[in-house]
Amino acid sequence: MIGRIRPLRLVALVVLGVSLALSATPVEAADEEVTLESIVNNTIIGHAEDGYYLNFKPFAQVELPRILLVRTADGALTLEAYGSTKGLLQNGPYGLVHGGDEEGHAAPITASEDLAEAIAAKEHLHGSVVRTSGQVVADFSISRHLIFGLLAMLIVLGIFIALAQRYKKEHDRPEAPQGVFQNMMEVLVVFVRDEIAKPNIPDGKWATFLPYLLTAFFFILVANILGLVPFAGAATSNIAVTGVMAIMTFGIVLLYGSSDYYKELLTGPPDAPVLIRIILVPIEIIGLVMRHLALAIRLFANMMGGSLIIFSLLGLVFMMNVIMGEAAAWSTTVISIGFTVFILLLKLLVAFIQAYVFTILSALFIGMAVEEHHPDGEEAAEPDVGLDGRVEDRLDAVEDKMEDRVQPTTA
Amino acid sequence: MDPAALAYLAAGLGAGISAVGAAIGIGRLASSSMDGAARQPEAAGDIRGLMIVSAGLIEGVALFALIICLLLVLFV
Repeated sequence: MIGRIRPLRLVALVVLGVSLALSATPVEAADEEVTLESIVNNTIIGHAEDGYYLNFKPFAQVELPRILLVRTADGALTLEAYGSTKGLLQNGPYGLVHGGDEEGHAAPITASEDLAEAIAAKEHLHGSVVRTSGQVVADFSISRHLIFGLLAMLIVLGIFIALAQRYKKEHDRPEAPQGVFQNMMEVLVVFVRDEIAKPNIPDGKWATFLPYLLTAFFFILVANILGLVPFAGAATSNIAVTGVMAIMTFGIVLLYGSSDYYKELLTGPPDAPVLIRIILVPIEIIGLVMRHLALAIRLFANMMGGSLIIFSLLGLVFMMNVIMGEAAAWSTTVISIGFTVFILLLKLLVAFIQAYVFTILSALFIGMAVEEHHPDGEEAAEPDVGLDGRVEDRLDAVEDKMEDRVQPTTA
Repeated sequence: MDPAALAYLAAGLGAGISAVGAAIGIGRLASSSMDGAARQPEAAGDIRGLMIVSAGLIEGVALFALIICLLLVLFV
């Protein structure tokens, strides 16, 4: 198996792993003492979590603008904007709270020389800011996940507007638009239509929901794949992003739910005793909400879990350096990078599977909601089969089973 | 006993037990879908799609447990 992978590709994979290892170099490596806690809190968690900076670690670290809606001490609402967290701390009435303390609530750092020291140690990137006078009402700061979410949106828009334009332009021509890229995307679009929308949404209503399903599928796919690019991050590893997407599915289910669906949801299944209905209705309603909550958490936890595993594997190298010394760290590096490459390939698979799972479950929930029951039609169709026909069907089935059972032993 | 130590212990044990549960679930799922695909090779495509969806659901439960373990570790 390994022999079939071309050496060049293997080299490319290893380079990918090494570049990730480089981008995960601990913050304090330069001058401060490296402790286990700083590795776990700043490097591993800091990379997987959202933050107000872009990390191009060996080259640069770009801080992102902070925009805050604040209520000042005299009660006026104002919008304050700063170029970076550093600027916010230096120029505004803000203090820095560094997380990870034992008691949880440490006093904010406000004195200017203490702040300068904390900024030099890059603590401001991993801590949170509090206002010394008045309070922060809402934080509209531009974060890393927002940047990569918008980037994913732009990529999806760019690809599909260009694709759609080509269909429009060549509408009068007899043949379909061609090209590797065009056909590749067409395969995915047709896959979503034929494998996800059509089988799960009954009564030919799939056409109404296909645009939403396609948008969700491609946004999640592109955002997930952006999470695999070195220095970038996955917007879908943020619970807020996946939560909003699950709320969209939930909204569609509520808006387009058929009257049959609502009747069954609110009054229980037909011809059930009243006592059972009293028990079943709350369970159904809780189940409805939990289904969509699980939709959000599944995607979030998968993406977050993947990046945590990668950074934990790479963090192992630095932990070994602290615990057992340099030689152990070097030998761990080989194992770590091997595993990281494996997990990266797994994450590529997971990127597709999670986009598929989110879309197919959305389609399933929407399909359950829009379905209209036709009890009269179904019951009328059944007696037509007749007793003789049913008996013969059963006999055929039994014969088939016998053959199935017998054949393996003879063969 | 130190509550933080108990939280770390609970997180470790919880991660392990949820991994066992997910492994049993996915193992059973894989074995029965392979049985199904071997018995009816023409239905293998459908079975694969259903298998991926149910694997996603099982994994979701395990990841719920993982998130709880993470919360235990990070916010003690």
